[in-house]
Amino acid sequence: MKTVIRNTTVADKLLFLFMITASLAGIFISRAAMPQGGEVVVEINGKKAYAFALDEDRIFAVPGPCGDTVIEIKNKKARVKEAHCPNRLCEKQGWISKGVIVCLPNRIVVSVGGRSANSSKEVDAITG
Amino acid sequence: MQLQDKYRIAVLSAYALALHGIENLVPTPIPWLRLGLANIVTLVALVLFGFRTAMMVTMIRVILASLFTGTFLGPSFVMSFGGGLTSTAAMGLTYRMSRGLFGPIGLSLVGAFFHNMAQLVLAYILFIQRIEAMYIITPVIVLLGTLTGVANGAVSGLLIKKLLKKEDDRIQNDIANERQSQ
Amino acid sequence: MKTRIQALLYVLFLILFFSCGKAKPSIYKKTKPLMDTVVSITVVAGSAEEADKAIEKAFSVIRQFGDRINFFSDKSELSAINKNAGITPVRVSAETMGVIERAIFISEKSGGAFDPTIGPEIRMWDFYKKIRPEDAAIKKNLPLVNFRDIIIDHDKSTVFLKRKGMMLDLGGIAKGYAADLALAGLRQDKIAAGIVAAAGDIRAFGLKPDGTLWNIGIKNPRQKSEADELIAKARLTNKAISTSGDYERYFIENGRRFHHILDPKTGYPAGQCRSVTVISDSGVFADGFSTAVFVSGPEKGMELVREAGVDAVIIDKDGGIHTTPGIKGMVTFEDSH
Repeated sequence: MKTVIRNTTVADKLLFLFMITASLAGIFISRAAMPQGGEVVVEINGKKAYAFALDEDRIFAVPGPCGDTVIEIKNKKARVKEAHCPNRLCEKQGWISKGVIVCLPNRIVVSVGGRSANSSKEVDAITG
Repeated sequence: MQLQDKYRIAVLSAYALALHGIENLVPTPIPWLRLGLANIVTLVALVLFGFRTAMMVTMIRVILASLFTGTFLGPSFVMSFGGGLTSTAAMGLTYRMSRGLFGPIGLSLVGAFFHNMAQLVLAYILFIQRIEAMYIITPVIVLLGTLTGVANGAVSGLLIKKLLKKEDDRIQNDIANERQSQ
Repeated sequence: MKTRIQALLYVLFLILFFSCGKAKPSIYKKTKPLMDTVVSITVVAGSAEEADKAIEKAFSVIRQFGDRINFFSDKSELSAINKNAGITPVRVSAETMGVIERAIFISEKSGGAFDPTIGPEIRMWDFYKKIRPEDAAIKKNLPLVNFRDIIIDHDKSTVFLKRKGMMLDLGGIAKGYAADLALAGLRQDKIAAGIVAAAGDIRAFGLKPDGTLWNIGIKNPRQKSEADELIAKARLTNKAISTSGDYERYFIENGRRFHHILDPKTGYPAGQCRSVTVISDSGVFADGFSTAVFVSGPEKGMELVREAGVDAVIIDKDGGIHTTPGIKGMVTFEDSH
């Protein structure tokens, strides 16, 4: 052990300290900057209209043929809070943390998740 | 290249290959935590026998190891080839540019850092292609690399000392023998 | 010696350079509202641009077909046929002809359990507004429901409905056929693997980039929470899978469930099953037979499935699960079932 310490130069020690601080700082910064990486994307008529981070709470309205559809993002989940379409299926779907909510009369697709995350456990499509 | 050099490279490569193999046998708690034991041999070769020897030893180790495991020219070979090449080059350059400034530990840290960075870039190109994931993983890998780098550097330092002392003793002996024979 | 090693390394680099030049294929997915439902297309492609081009082309194939057979649009070929019922044959496109001929084939095979002339009956129901037609009205329209009264002239490519008031409704088969058309388009665009999902009518082909089969979830007809959304998972490729269920469009009145799959013989919702999933080689058969089997019920349905040479998972009205032998190894049921 003694020889190891005697072998170490001042530059070695400084480099070591620098690397440790920089990487620890990097870990904290990257964690804070993107804790989830999740995204809420709203498409109207098949075109991407809005994209928001899933970890920022907000409420916003999207215009459509049946009036404004109110979408809420809260606690890393999203829902259609208010819709004025005839059957309000999208409202009934409630909170989702992944997948899509579709409002056909308003032609609005709200999808939650990163880019096509595909692990073997997840399903690629659902029938029924 | 002299016969002695070839012999030396062969022996060092064998050591490096053995460490490379042992490392694959040791289970690690985190999948991407590699001890980088073979870097000890590269570092010792660099300090004692120069840059060219160190580079040759690294290349031979990487290529032979991939041939043994049947991954030659595959993605994992590209990863270790790129990592080995970059880290050896970085250590060699640092050693030459700042002679005496860094000891084995500092050099090992430089090597570990560049090894990891090269592998991260290659992993991004070959597998992941998600820059968000890279942001998260890079500091973690650099931190782990720093810790293993210090350990490897310390071992390399001890080895270099021992080998130098042995060499010194041998020369002293030779001189003494010569004197006696005269 | 030195130069030889340098040359060797150089060659090695060249090999590496070229062997890694091609981008690794990944999965791309897009969702669009089409044909009054949600269509998702997934492809395995080398780049986002390549995927986007193929997917958009497939979407436009589906949109075009959907416009031709739209029950509610005045401009569709289907409404032209319906308006001219009892009057004159109507010339139609090859796609419309194709889906009608297959609808008749499935009607014949199932002895009328599936019938595309269900239009006059289904038109009277509104499952969103919970409107149930009068019993007398249902009875009155029943004679108009008979697939044998569809007259096809294949050479002239015309379709004629014999009686005035008859109406074709291809809702029970069109999405499966749309998936077939879109998949053919993707193949033409040199896409080697992917999924076309027109709502629950799915066709999968090729393998995922990691060399595994596609995972298709089968919906639980009596879902209670987010956790039990699926009743089973199917691992397959180069197959079509479709489900007909009583939970898609329905209302409950006095404890009775009224859903959108009508029995052509009675004009009322078929009551013997909760859901039927059919796995076949083509989307149009999976879609059509899932409806036919649903109406036929578990026993007759099993016979029908065996004759047609397709595989099925039938969940009867009490929640009992019936499967064909071919399902084993392809479908795994979730733990609670």
